[in-house]
Amino acid sequence: MSAKGWMGTAIAGAVIIIMGLAGLPQASAEMDTLETGKPVCLDCHRQPNIHTNEGVLTANAFCNGCHAKAECRRTVDGKAVSLQVPVSAAKENPHHYSACIHCHTDVARSPHKSQTGAECRACHSVHGESTAHAPHLRVDCQACHFKSKFVELDPKDNHVKLAHSDLESMPISLADHTLTDVKDLKSCEKCHFSDNRIGAPAAVLPSKSALCILCHNSPLSMGHPIFGVALLIFLVGVLATLRFWYLGSVQGEENSLHRKISLSSETIWNIIFSRQIFSLLKMVVLDIILQRRILKESVGRWSMHSLIFSAILIRFLLSLFTAIIFYFHPDGDWALALIDKNNPFTAFANDLLGLFILLGILWAVVQRFIIKPVHVATENQDNIALLIIGTLIFLGFILEGVRILVTGIPAEIAGYSFIGYSLSKILSVFGLSWKSIYPYLWYAHGIVGALFVAYLPFGKMRHIFNTPLTYVLEEVSGVRNEKRI
Amino acid sequence: MQATSFTPDTPIRFSVIHRLLHLVVMFGFTGLAVTGLSLGLSSTTPARGFMWLIGGASHAAMLHRYCAVVTYGCVVIHALWFLYYKFGLAGAWTGPDSIVPSLKDLKDFKHHLAYFFGLEKTPPRFDKFSYMEKIEYWALFIGMNTMGITGLVLWYPECFTRYIPGFFVNLAQTLHFYEAVLAVVVKFFIHIGMAHFRPETYPADTSIFTGRSHKK
Repeated sequence: MSAKGWMGTAIAGAVIIIMGLAGLPQASAEMDTLETGKPVCLDCHRQPNIHTNEGVLTANAFCNGCHAKAECRRTVDGKAVSLQVPVSAAKENPHHYSACIHCHTDVARSPHKSQTGAECRACHSVHGESTAHAPHLRVDCQACHFKSKFVELDPKDNHVKLAHSDLESMPISLADHTLTDVKDLKSCEKCHFSDNRIGAPAAVLPSKSALCILCHNSPLSMGHPIFGVALLIFLVGVLATLRFWYLGSVQGEENSLHRKISLSSETIWNIIFSRQIFSLLKMVVLDIILQRRILKESVGRWSMHSLIFSAILIRFLLSLFTAIIFYFHPDGDWALALIDKNNPFTAFANDLLGLFILLGILWAVVQRFIIKPVHVATENQDNIALLIIGTLIFLGFILEGVRILVTGIPAEIAGYSFIGYSLSKILSVFGLSWKSIYPYLWYAHGIVGALFVAYLPFGKMRHIFNTPLTYVLEEVSGVRNEKRI
Repeated sequence: MQATSFTPDTPIRFSVIHRLLHLVVMFGFTGLAVTGLSLGLSSTTPARGFMWLIGGASHAAMLHRYCAVVTYGCVVIHALWFLYYKFGLAGAWTGPDSIVPSLKDLKDFKHHLAYFFGLEKTPPRFDKFSYMEKIEYWALFIGMNTMGITGLVLWYPECFTRYIPGFFVNLAQTLHFYEAVLAVVVKFFIHIGMAHFRPETYPADTSIFTGRSHKK
């Protein structure tokens, strides 16, 4: 840039600075008229355009006319509560450049009283499972994001809110607008301690993991290192299985892994782009999803297996659907209904499907250990699989019962979780400190879940991949093996 | 695309991974072109019609980013495959099977021109990839990377302007638009012309789908 160019820039910069400086006294002059001058009608009866800086400045100057002063207070039960919004707090606040009435939508009127509080969700979305779990749907934004240490459960709408009084029932001011750093897990401890008043578990728990999507809606994070380890073991198992499969010869090729992969991918490509794909798809629907081959063997075995398999499949698809819906429209009715454990549909569906799995497991246990028909050869592998899934579901139900018990959700809402609610009634008979037990139960359920995922490629559960693959290979080669896996 | 029409010893021109990448890029690139041109030329009637169809510019922008991630993902996989080819399979970067330009391409070009003007009786015998295909491939490969980089600058301007001056964003915008027009022109005229309208390939060169080279 030439010297002339620099000069031009400098002059333009100076003009902008001077204009900016000239703009500042205007705003404070306006504030002064409000404080000292005689009020005129349009001081109150107007609608500043709060989407412009000027509008924000004039609107806030009007609010600050009272709320910046130390004597701005009200009296509750004979005690003065400050309504002063500290100027220093406003400066640190990320909402510094927003108008007060942008969030406090219903205060600029007579009587000067808010029914709704600040409307955070007019601008912000509900955040997902990774930062706050579904039970936090009943916690107001301010309860976590504001500095005040005191929260309470509002029995009217069963929501956790900032309390208007401290633990000694002394009224406290909520006018401090500073936000807390919620990334610091210490801030969670204002609710998550034993003997809290709002029914929160006594410990801060990690979020669910992406692995939990097999049965629950879940975030795209690992949540806790145990899930990371489980995923690692799972992946190693899958790789080992693939390696094992490719040890054999592929279409006559014995040695080169590259050639084997080339030949098999060539075959897959040629089948996908041929008429054979339709018969293959038909087989997938009938034999893999609807389990026709097991049905041909025995209606009883089909029912037992389908109770477990279909229920897990439906929960998986439902969770996947929820994750997609939540990603695209987190504030939509569907997303909110599906991530809310207390929503009638979600609660009922999860309980029913969980019950199906448990019934299937119980049926299998009865077959194996009590009836013992000739064709059932009980192996340890089968028992381990039954034990893991059974424990997982059982702990899940207990966990749900404890959650309903400690959060004190009323029967008309919690009743849709027909098993969880009944369990919460039974558990309430034992006068235990369930808030402190909940975290242990959560970790137990989480660890068994991680174990389930880690065990998938190794034991009996390997059939989830092996059997469909065998069916596909049979369909492609036109050969039917007599031996079932 | 009938698997039965090939004998097992028909030479394989494209392996499965290349067929798959081509198939994905085909849709990804078309999606990028349609949404990108609608955003770039938003005042025109076809763009307005398309925006009405998909629900506004924000949706077009979102779809554009999805397509971009998918398409650029293919470029990355392709680059990784190149490394595997060189170091895993110990393949050569030059020679008759290579995509790298060589002196023979110049000779082929001269020969081909001579053939067009009747100075040669026969067209040149190309290696695995002709000079035309090599130009297209490298134009696309370099173009995809410039589009990717300028696109990223436009996607995360706050992040990039921490390290580079602000006018690079304007620069990226201009480059992104003109490179896009160039790419679309190359793809929809030259590529379609080459793969469909050459006498040797008409009505379509199916080797990128079947993997097999056509009869020599």
